[in-house]
Amino acid sequence: MPLGLADVGVLLLSFAAPFVLLLLGLPRFLGFLARVGRVSDDVHKSPPAKVPEPAGPVLFLAALAGELVVAVGLHSWVPVAVVLGTSVAFVVGLWDDLYVLGGKTKPLLLVAAGLAFVSLAVISTDLYRPELTLPILGDTSPHFTIYTVLAIAAFPVVANAFNMMDAFNGEISWFTLLTSAALLIGVVLHYVFTPGFALARVASVLPLVGVAAAFLVFNRYPSRAFDGDSGSLMFGAMFAGLAIAGGVEVAAMIAIVPAILNSFYTLSSVRGFVERRKMASRPTYIGKDGLLYASYEAGAPSTLVRLLLLDGPLSERDLVKNIVYLTVVAFVFSVAISVLTWVV
Amino acid sequence: MKLAPVFVIEAAAFLLIIAETYLFFDFVVPLGPIPRNPAEYTGLALVKLLLIAGLGILWFVVMIGLTRLYVRSKTRTLPRPSS
Repeated sequence: MPLGLADVGVLLLSFAAPFVLLLLGLPRFLGFLARVGRVSDDVHKSPPAKVPEPAGPVLFLAALAGELVVAVGLHSWVPVAVVLGTSVAFVVGLWDDLYVLGGKTKPLLLVAAGLAFVSLAVISTDLYRPELTLPILGDTSPHFTIYTVLAIAAFPVVANAFNMMDAFNGEISWFTLLTSAALLIGVVLHYVFTPGFALARVASVLPLVGVAAAFLVFNRYPSRAFDGDSGSLMFGAMFAGLAIAGGVEVAAMIAIVPAILNSFYTLSSVRGFVERRKMASRPTYIGKDGLLYASYEAGAPSTLVRLLLLDGPLSERDLVKNIVYLTVVAFVFSVAISVLTWVV
Repeated sequence: MKLAPVFVIEAAAFLLIIAETYLFFDFVVPLGPIPRNPAEYTGLALVKLLLIAGLGILWFVVMIGLTRLYVRSKTRTLPRPSS
């Protein structure tokens, strides 16, 4: 359906507002963090550099501004639901940044993010459709209870998966940018090929893309800012909410396959949820040559990174490049799924 | 193409997710009709739970199998660090 000038304005502003806010606001906030001593060791550098952390609060405010533009401009509850779920994840993450939560407490608290999101279905009954649309095969039969339970569970699962992809310079920002771009393509195709699909569901994705793109400027190698758990959990919860509201759950799942694999390897090797600061040994370590090596220790967690380093040591920059390649492959799979679902 | 084996693991994860999502929503969940007898109802619920667990276990086993295959092929030639 043709877009009006006002619609185009909302779309542009929902991307530009968070993008510009972050570019202008983050340097000041990073200066503040450095002044109050909130800096973390960049442990993969030798000697470790000091990097301001957490940038999460500014990432959250920028995303909030973008979603506010959509809510006001397109009169929709979708961005409100997304913000509700994202806010809970952000608060849990900020709490973890400031006081450190247990490995099991964090996922349990993140269930509240899912509950906050689905609770808005009481006001906006069409917030999500309780069915999946599979490529070629079409819609599954609707199952409200099962779908809602899975939607609530998606928040802690996806938020933690994003959190686990936040270990190296630029890893989380590249990952969020590519996965949110895949999500955007899926939702745009859903909008174009499904009559009656609300534009607000497309516009709600743009703040996530804008925040991820602007954060990449600060987070890419060598990082000038770390997002902290407040940033990575917020990214994951926002991604989950947007995938559910946009009805592109399958394409979204495929886009984050590298994170699903990473979580699977970590959880299966450490046998449960263990806070990374409390892990007995690290999956990788830095050699005297400054390169990253896969750990030989029997108890070291088998992360995706350790798997990539089995082929030989890599610099941090090359390791992140490999992770980006894996995410690009997942991006291509995801777009293919979206095309097969909505176009074919 | 050093990353090719990892791409294969990624593609396997992708295909299994698609296939299992379809099986979950279009085969396991609608399995029925829902019986009125409490014993039959419990039996059907248990069958569904077992099938769902089976889908999870299948994904787990395939991923573990592929990963072990890759790790075994690589650990023989794993370079030692200089420290």
